[in-house]
Amino acid sequence: MTDDKDVLRDVWFGRIPTCFTLYQDEITEREAEPYYLLLPRISYLTLVTDKVKKHFQKVMRQEEVSEIWFEYEGTPLKWHYPIGLLFDLHASNTALPWSITVHFKNFPEKDLLHCHSKDVIEAHFMACIKEADALKHKSQVINEMQKKDHKQLWMGLQNDKFEQFWAINRKLMEYPPEDNGFRYIPFRIYQATTERPFIQKLFRPIASGGQLHTLGDLLKDVCPSAVTPEDGEQKNQVMIHGIEPMLETPIQWLSEHMSYPDNFLHISIIPRPTD
Amino acid sequence: VSCSMAGEEDFFLEEKRFKQCCEDFVKHSQQIGDGWEWRTNKDLGDGYLSKTHFQVRNRHIPPDLKEKTDDNTEQMLFAHIEEPLDDSEATGVFSTEEVVRYEYHVLYSSSYQVPVLYFRACFLDGRPLTLDEIWGSVHASYQDRLQAGPWDTITQQEHPILGQPFFVLHPCRTNEFISAVLGGSQEHHRHTNYIILWLSTVGPVVGLNLPLSYAKLAPEQSTDADL
Repeated sequence: MTDDKDVLRDVWFGRIPTCFTLYQDEITEREAEPYYLLLPRISYLTLVTDKVKKHFQKVMRQEEVSEIWFEYEGTPLKWHYPIGLLFDLHASNTALPWSITVHFKNFPEKDLLHCHSKDVIEAHFMACIKEADALKHKSQVINEMQKKDHKQLWMGLQNDKFEQFWAINRKLMEYPPEDNGFRYIPFRIYQATTERPFIQKLFRPIASGGQLHTLGDLLKDVCPSAVTPEDGEQKNQVMIHGIEPMLETPIQWLSEHMSYPDNFLHISIIPRPTD
Repeated sequence: VSCSMAGEEDFFLEEKRFKQCCEDFVKHSQQIGDGWEWRTNKDLGDGYLSKTHFQVRNRHIPPDLKEKTDDNTEQMLFAHIEEPLDDSEATGVFSTEEVVRYEYHVLYSSSYQVPVLYFRACFLDGRPLTLDEIWGSVHASYQDRLQAGPWDTITQQEHPILGQPFFVLHPCRTNEFISAVLGGSQEHHRHTNYIILWLSTVGPVVGLNLPLSYAKLAPEQSTDADL
């Protein structure tokens, strides 16, 4: 039988082949070649694109370069969302490689958070982990950890070190033996068609009778319009890390095995391709 | 820096009570013309408090004023402007670039079960304030706390309902100081308007002050059986 731990590795090492192209209106001293990169699904754009920045800055004048930002088909990409989420939400049913446009001017202040240094990414990442633990354990586990443990989570992510990360993260995935799961499940549901960026609510993994709640139960409770069958067919796909888990999957299991490093389940609701 | 541990002493706010406190708060705001309103999100039925006002950031503070601590000084630092400035007020004392439009939102965090203060600020020409400018405008009394842990205090985040960048005062430590202020059991303070208590404590950090009349707000209704 496949070990559940293999799922953890598959999630961690997921990659998306991406082609970065400089926006045509950026002013260059010579032609800018596209830059190809395998992006880690579990990381953040501004954390893994130093080489992309260097590549394009080589053909630009210093004064033409300010804060880098990324866009896909006219939509500014939120660097504070994990890369895998951005891809699933915006481009999962399109041909690879994922084509992202790189900008160095006209930062969209109304759409994107600034990211002037890695400290900003670390602060955001740690804030998500803390919020997830507030939901799972009333913050008890994260608070019991030392500062160096918190640092290890961040360094594990930054340096793509699975073992280093999970040495600490496994504690965030435990629960008291008398319980059968976390207090509440950290999750966010995203749908590109809505104005609201995501849905997040309190949801218990165990029903009052002791049964395990499923992914389907979560969706029915929090986002019923997404999964109501129309004419007997599912209009939408429910996607996590590029796959559609069965709706019968216990949400506790999904939380333990398919959360992102920030300890949240980031779930995309996307239109099912019609072909 | 980590969040306080949950315990019996902690004063959590349930979402229903949050909405009720906000309703009472808006009613009083309307009575005194303080400009707060409630906005509902049609998708999920949740919502938030909202208020916009203009402030003048006076950079030319004479050195001796910094020594004073009475209310008059606060008036100088953050002149609260309801009407647009006319020319006679604008010349000689303030320049238009120093007028800042602040938009404050109070949202509920189900993860921490506390209210959270979101805000954004821009100059009259539309230029948004940077995080550094926001940190710089934090009231002098709170600068030490801010310097000790800026990333745990005010950061830029995505507004969970609007999806746009806002600055946020971290909810992490809210329970710590609310518990300290209330000092008693939840039962003893069940009639307190949590929003007024909380906002009057955190608001001044970012230039938001509540008129004293909010303190006179009628307590929430209760039956004699509850007492």
